[in-house]
Amino acid sequence: MVLPKFEYKKARDVADAIALYKGQKGKAVYLAGGTDLIPLIKQRLSTPSVVIDLKGIEELKSITNKDGWLEIGANVTLFELKIYPWIRDNLPAFYESLEATACETLQLRGTIGGNILQDTRCLKHNQSLEWRTSRGFCLKSNGKECNVVKGSKVCFANYCSDNAPALVTLGAELKLEGPKGERVIELTTLFTGDSLKPFSIDAGEILTYIRIPAKKTKGAYEKLRVRESMDYPLVGVAVSSVGVAAKICVGGVGLQPRLYELEDAGIETAIREIADKASSDAKPVANAVVSPAYRKKMVGVLVKRAVKRAIGEGK
Amino acid sequence: MKMTRVSFEINNEKVSLDVRPYETLLETLRERLMLTGAKEACGMGSCGACTVVMNGIPVRSCLVLAPEADGAVITTVEGLRQDGKLHPLQQAFMEKGAVQCGFCTSGMIMTAKALLERNKKPTKKEIIKTMSSNICRCTGYKKIIEAVEEAAKKI
Amino acid sequence: MNNEFNIVGKRVVRSDSLAKVTGEARYTADLKFPNMLVAKVLRSPHPHAKILKIDCSKALKVPGVKAAVSGFDSYGVKWGVFRYTQDHAMLHTDKVRYIGEDVAAVAAVDEETALEALSLIKVDYEPLPAVFDPFESMKDGAPQIHSEYKNNVNIHIHIDVGEVDKAMEKAFLVREDTFKAAGEAYAMMEPYAVVALFKNGYLDLYMPNAGPHVRAKALSNMLKLPLNRVRIRHINSGGAFGGRSEVAPGDLVASLLAIKSGQPVKLVLTREENATASRQVHDIVATVKTGMKKDGTILAKDYKVVYDGGAYSSTGPIATSIPFYVYEECYRFPNVRYNGYRVFTNKGIRGMYGCHGRAFLAGNESQMDLMAKELGLDPVDVRLKNGLKPGEVTATKSKITSCGLKETILEASEKTNFRKKWAKPSKRKGIGMGCVAIMCGFPMGFRSGSSAYVKINDDGQVTLVTGLVDNGQGNESMVIQVASEVLGVPMEDINLVCADTEVTNLDPGAYSQAAAFVGANAVRVACENARKRIVAIAAEKLGIKETEVGLKDRAAHSIKHPDKKMPISWVVREAFFRGEPIVATGSFFPHIDFEREWVTRPWGQMAGTFSFGTSVAEIEIDQETGKIKMPKFTSAHDCGRPINPMAVEGQMEGSIQQAGVAALTEGNLWDKGHLLNPNLLEYKVPLACDMPEIDTIIVSSRDPAGPFGAKEGGLTIRMNAYSAVACALTNATGELFTELPLTPDKVLTVLERKKGVK
Ligand SMILES: Cc1cc2nc3c(=O)[nH]c(=O)nc-3n(C[C@H](O)[C@H](O)[C@H](O)COP(=O)(O)OP(=O)(O)OC[C@H]3O[C@@H](n4cnc5c(N)ncnc54)[C@H](O)[C@@H]3O)c2cc1C
Ligand code: FES
Ligand code: FES
Repeated sequence: MVLPKFEYKKARDVADAIALYKGQKGKAVYLAGGTDLIPLIKQRLSTPSVVIDLKGIEELKSITNKDGWLEIGANVTLFELKIYPWIRDNLPAFYESLEATACETLQLRGTIGGNILQDTRCLKHNQSLEWRTSRGFCLKSNGKECNVVKGSKVCFANYCSDNAPALVTLGAELKLEGPKGERVIELTTLFTGDSLKPFSIDAGEILTYIRIPAKKTKGAYEKLRVRESMDYPLVGVAVSSVGVAAKICVGGVGLQPRLYELEDAGIETAIREIADKASSDAKPVANAVVSPAYRKKMVGVLVKRAVKRAIGEGK
Repeated sequence: MKMTRVSFEINNEKVSLDVRPYETLLETLRERLMLTGAKEACGMGSCGACTVVMNGIPVRSCLVLAPEADGAVITTVEGLRQDGKLHPLQQAFMEKGAVQCGFCTSGMIMTAKALLERNKKPTKKEIIKTMSSNICRCTGYKKIIEAVEEAAKKI
Repeated sequence: MNNEFNIVGKRVVRSDSLAKVTGEARYTADLKFPNMLVAKVLRSPHPHAKILKIDCSKALKVPGVKAAVSGFDSYGVKWGVFRYTQDHAMLHTDKVRYIGEDVAAVAAVDEETALEALSLIKVDYEPLPAVFDPFESMKDGAPQIHSEYKNNVNIHIHIDVGEVDKAMEKAFLVREDTFKAAGEAYAMMEPYAVVALFKNGYLDLYMPNAGPHVRAKALSNMLKLPLNRVRIRHINSGGAFGGRSEVAPGDLVASLLAIKSGQPVKLVLTREENATASRQVHDIVATVKTGMKKDGTILAKDYKVVYDGGAYSSTGPIATSIPFYVYEECYRFPNVRYNGYRVFTNKGIRGMYGCHGRAFLAGNESQMDLMAKELGLDPVDVRLKNGLKPGEVTATKSKITSCGLKETILEASEKTNFRKKWAKPSKRKGIGMGCVAIMCGFPMGFRSGSSAYVKINDDGQVTLVTGLVDNGQGNESMVIQVASEVLGVPMEDINLVCADTEVTNLDPGAYSQAAAFVGANAVRVACENARKRIVAIAAEKLGIKETEVGLKDRAAHSIKHPDKKMPISWVVREAFFRGEPIVATGSFFPHIDFEREWVTRPWGQMAGTFSFGTSVAEIEIDQETGKIKMPKFTSAHDCGRPINPMAVEGQMEGSIQQAGVAALTEGNLWDKGHLLNPNLLEYKVPLACDMPEIDTIIVSSRDPAGPFGAKEGGLTIRMNAYSAVACALTNATGELFTELPLTPDKVLTVLERKKGVK
């Protein structure tokens, strides 16, 4: 399958990347591992005129743990994070989410920055141009209505990052650097709920670092998928807890992950309530390989499981 | 559109050639260097048939842009044989009957090769985890896993 | 395995594997020829539409475009496997009938140019109402997909043996259930590809195929070229599983483009095109009614099976029949009625599949278990009671010769401690058993037989020529092994020339399970004929009787005095001197009833022999998520004598993946005429981590007619593995499945249904 025409530029450092971006008037995209981006370009879901490769930026390949923050460069691969002992020992939800992402070969290439900024997905959107032309363009391809929920003017594509929900439960922040300078945002504010522009980052902004409070947590990540490798989550639930409190984040259903807080994860009824709430909040539609009713139910089941496992009960 | 010049080391040989900036490494290997051992089975990163080892890491070459390979050290299945001798993985894949139609084979072998480079003594569980990056439609994987175990013993 | 042979029965390294592990093995997409063009196909965006006009003129003006074709450039000859199914012109001029159907094509200097040209081809369509569900399609007033077939019923197979209604009345227990299964994707790893070259009136073609000779025949008809001018060449094939048995639209497209441009043309389908526009597998709805005696004897079966056939006939009559036959070849049905309907819909074309018929077979087997349970019997007993024995005749009059069904049932159940586990299912755990028989070859007229040719060169090295083809199963290595055994030379001394219609003779191909039984048998006969000539000369030279000559290690020797010997190469040279070089042919034609016809006369001997097998699946069900884990899978197979046990095991293991584990994961998903998962991400081919621990048991028997006693190897498991999984679900839950695949959402529905009952 041939790619459409575009130019390739390799950035030396962050400033260089931003400068290259500025020169392209919005038709440029950033490239990290390419495991999300290249399939999108192949299907003409992304049509850049220039691809700016960030992989050469050495400073974004570091992991540092100081002043109470674990700071991860956006270029660090999922595999490198997975084998970073401090993460395994202290951030189990994150560790498990890394282990559950795609497959090992893709973990070795895919970066954490790219993982967080991967586009939302839908069975009727992630298709070739020919397929979509034949089916009729949906909202996410600038069409008039959703192809899954007839008549809908809102998009139900799923945000399928396995790692972002885990990072949300850990209170992660993102460092961004763009044409307008630097800023830090909370990861929870990254998501816009807008299918055409799912992230609140500005044009040309680069995700440089992911910052996580360097605290020991308990945690778990539960992922539902048909095959035990390769597959994106049909539902993903991350839980991290410090003391008795726990944060729960549900991913894989809808445009953005949903965060819930549990004051005391030891109270059975409280867990059940949150699980029910998460399940009723989730609005899956028929855009994945299992039924929406089932996915909705599973949100509750996985929340319970993840919480129990996080606090050390259950399997 | 302009071609761009890339240079890399492939199977112990240095090459320098002009590629389209929007060409995949898989296309470069297959169309320009006649290294057709890596296969395109999906072109979308979902199967691993196109896996080659780049800078020690297995990559799905259908998702790598040719210019990204500039300066890299690449090994493909064609480069495994040393002085005419088969690599232990190649030997084991043959002897264990891990090859049927053969379309997934080079991707499987290259994925395993990168594993054995980063983990000299993988457990069976680790082998299964790594090899679950690739699809084989023919074998049921049993003999592939056995072949990797066997080769790991020999390396 | 103790064994009187030198090499047959040994775990040999397959002859094709060296080229495959080094990357040297060439597949169609790897080929390069000087001035070769790249072809791309314009496909229908409509599920059903009239073609008003196709205008390629603008495409032809693009620099670098060398040819463009549509149906108007072909003879419009419609292909069909049978005279009464000729409905597929490959490139149509009247209508398109499914999304993705080939409409026009271009050949250009590179892919980018070809794509640009495609976008300039103008096709005027008049969209027609379309139908996607076979039951809707059969209704009066549904859109008519082909004018020749009333109510869109492509094929109706009607079989009626004994007195089904009366027997049902007499039965102690009667049950009727309906089972559904989504069609699968063949998902062979190699996307379809064709290279065509046309020179001096001769057409050379390379493509992955499961039968070069039928392919050549179809193309010779469609292109109005004599058969000897259509040369299908040998090339490695990246898997077939039934999906490469027939001529494909791409074959015609590439041929026409090569003829028009005068340059070699390569067409490689994308994964998506391979899924939408090459063959797919039938969706099936099977209603199974069974009458049983109190002791578990099956008295009667009454079937209605509806196959969603997609837009064209393809192998329709065969596909509509096979699930029934592989079942009646396994069990005794004194009274049986089968109504199989293959119905057209506006979806991709459905063909035969190695795992074809899972709704029907898994439905039958799991229903049988539920009935057995009600009667206080266990699955092992019912299967033993109803299973056919050597010498018996099936309901439609096929005689079973060698038959190890009983042994496979016993071995598989003993190895798994089946009875005990089955009797005590926990909610969470289940065990299930599936059995089936497979015909080794089926009637294909004069194409049912194979013939081979062997010559021994003056250095004693052998050239073997056969029409047999390998799609990855190891057929090539198998015949080399057979020749090596007969001729007493090592495998590496044998150069195989196969699947090249210029020089090879007819062979049934690799889709009717005939490769070992028919193809290898012909090779055996040819080599035995050559051997006789070698032995005659050697006996004379060594001064011993012909019966005392053995061939081994490239030498002819006296069996009594092994030291007395001479190299085969000497014998060969002597033969040359005598003007009678060692060349020989050999043929094998199976004992089949050729009056038999799929629709009009569905009875008589189906095949020369049948293979048998039993699979046992052990599963664990997550009660909250419905996710099934499969810790263990055991399969026992009577494949006659395994020529290469390692290859047979490989087939069995692959079958466990493709039918057994796939029963949990695989199925095509549709949005009307749009295939939702035409890829390898959302179409779930099981991965290494999804596989159970596998135990394969070869129950070796000796088929009297098979080469060295061999039959078919592996397909049996491909057609019973899903049954074992479905039965395990029934064992754990006490419920029958309603739909395959058993993805966790569907399993949860079964679990909830059960709770509702309580
Ligand atoms: C077969 C397959 C299965 C997969 N399964 C999963 C799965 O189960 N779970 C999962 O989470 N993911 C999955 N993925 C997606 C992907 O592999 C991972 O999410 C990976 O981490 C993405 O990282 P990348 O570096 O390859 O991203 P890229 O593809 O390079 O980039 C992704 C996006 O982020 C942008 N971007 C990247 N880095 C930056 C930056 N520093 N600043 C600004 N923008 C940036 C890019 O412009 C692009 O839009 C799968 C992919 C494939 C092909
Ligand atoms: S061809 Fe590259 S992953 Fe399938
Ligand atoms: S051997 Fe055929 S796909 Fe693996």
